[in-house]
Amino acid sequence: MKIRLRVIFFLFTFVLAVKAQDRLSIQLDFANNLFNNKQFYYAITEYKRLQFFDSTKTFNYEINYRIGECYKAGAKYDDAVKFFSLAELSARTDDELFDSKTQIIRTNILRRTSDRALQLCDELEKDQRFSGKKDQINYWRGWAYIFADKWDEAAKSFTRINSNHELKKLAEQTGKAKVSVTFAKVISYILPGAGAIYTGKFLSGLMSLGWNLLSGYWTINSFVENRVFDGVVVAELVWLRFYRGAIQNAEEFAQEKNLEVSNKSLRYLQNEYKGMKP
Amino acid sequence: MLRTKITNRLLFVILLVIVPLTTINCQLATDGNILSSQNRLRFGNYLYHEKDYLRAADEFKEYLSSESNDTIVFRLANSYFQIGRYTEAANNFKGLFFGSQLSEEARLMFYESVFFQNDYKLFRVLADEQNFGSSLYGKDIERLKYISFFLDNSKLPEENLVLKNFPDSVQSRLLNFYQQKKFPKLKSITTSVILSTLIPGAGKIYTGEVGDGITSLIATALTAYLAITNFKADHQFRGWMFSGLAAFFYAGNIYGSAASAQIYNARIQFNFDNEVRLFFEHRNYFLPKIDY
Repeated sequence: MKIRLRVIFFLFTFVLAVKAQDRLSIQLDFANNLFNNKQFYYAITEYKRLQFFDSTKTFNYEINYRIGECYKAGAKYDDAVKFFSLAELSARTDDELFDSKTQIIRTNILRRTSDRALQLCDELEKDQRFSGKKDQINYWRGWAYIFADKWDEAAKSFTRINSNHELKKLAEQTGKAKVSVTFAKVISYILPGAGAIYTGKFLSGLMSLGWNLLSGYWTINSFVENRVFDGVVVAELVWLRFYRGAIQNAEEFAQEKNLEVSNKSLRYLQNEYKGMKP
Repeated sequence: MLRTKITNRLLFVILLVIVPLTTINCQLATDGNILSSQNRLRFGNYLYHEKDYLRAADEFKEYLSSESNDTIVFRLANSYFQIGRYTEAANNFKGLFFGSQLSEEARLMFYESVFFQNDYKLFRVLADEQNFGSSLYGKDIERLKYISFFLDNSKLPEENLVLKNFPDSVQSRLLNFYQQKKFPKLKSITTSVILSTLIPGAGKIYTGEVGDGITSLIATALTAYLAITNFKADHQFRGWMFSGLAAFFYAGNIYGSAASAQIYNARIQFNFDNEVRLFFEHRNYFLPKIDY
């Protein structure tokens, strides 16, 4: 009799488990389908529904990971990090743990908290469980440097993966194409307008030089004619204004130029680069 | 003995067949379909408590398409309210005005929904509407009506009429707001322009921009002085150039004074609006907390 009761009990629980599992799998497929069709809002709803009814927490990792991806796709980066962190907690294998951690890094790159992304890369690198995944860590570190506008550092990270890495070449080219803001300012201190010419703004540089020469002449001329007060006022109000303006312009032009160079590379990465992106 | 054995075996076979069948049936009847009304309600309530109001509203709406439940209508309306969809919130609260146990609360929330749409004139018209009034929360609605006078450009009612609706602890603060609203300390643009025409920079000093005013005075005076000395030294080009600059500074100082007075007035208004809004927001507009 006891054996029979056990058989019945086993049958009962088995049917219950299989039925529930089947139902949840269908729901997961449905949510995944919405996710694949980029209907992220509805996908989140269905993943959350699945999570609510999945009392055994069987799909917890997949659900949190996917919700994180949905939020990331919708540019809700704080929410994305929250769910990737939950996925990290419910990871069952080292691979799942690594995937959720890299997703957190990638989201940090996107939300421009590059320092945090770099810190997480360092932590990941120190973890012995991921010693075989150095290339991936360096890859995302390189991306973090790109978004932090540190192209030379990015090139170094990609070099650690492969000295001919496509992104290494791009980062090097971008780094070389940039101009030095300090140099532009310093040469403008020596010769007003030179900084603007250095950044490629020839007309502006020449105009600046001209104004400085003219106002300098007026200042000196006033002193020569013994109109000392005139000389002081012209020097202060006119000459110094143009002199300071030339230095400020040099700085702004250099920053503008660097921004243009960075944006050009970022546009390439966004539209033409075929590899993995944050 | 044999009879018992046969009975046991028969019972076992019956159970073997019935248990799986009833289990499957139970599953389908109760929570087999996670999109059933009851499951939607459970999920909606979970989302509501998680403050995921947008999704909660979707679930409640689906549930209410086949079931009727005043609490859920209230939660649906409150979900809309929480995500700032005040028009939909007001419409749903309105549905609970008559024949519902939540009628009083719905009336208050309806007024809150209209109030937060920032159409204060409409709010005041509705607040005076007798049909919509609430016996339980009438005073709160009345208070909200007087708050609305501080938030738009309507003429303020009598001082004591406004103040009597608020607790003693905030009377002096509200009186201060009332005075500021009724007699704002604004600067006259005409006075500012006249002052700057007479003495460059004086208009700006009048509007509180002392540094800018002194700079204007010095720039105008120095360029005028340079123009004169250059003409005297027979430097015609420089003389005319500095004359032009002096005229430019003088005209700019007059225009700047008018702009400065306008900016000053706008800043006073902006600061006042901000201060009032923060004051009421901090106290949740003196409204009771309602949730179901």
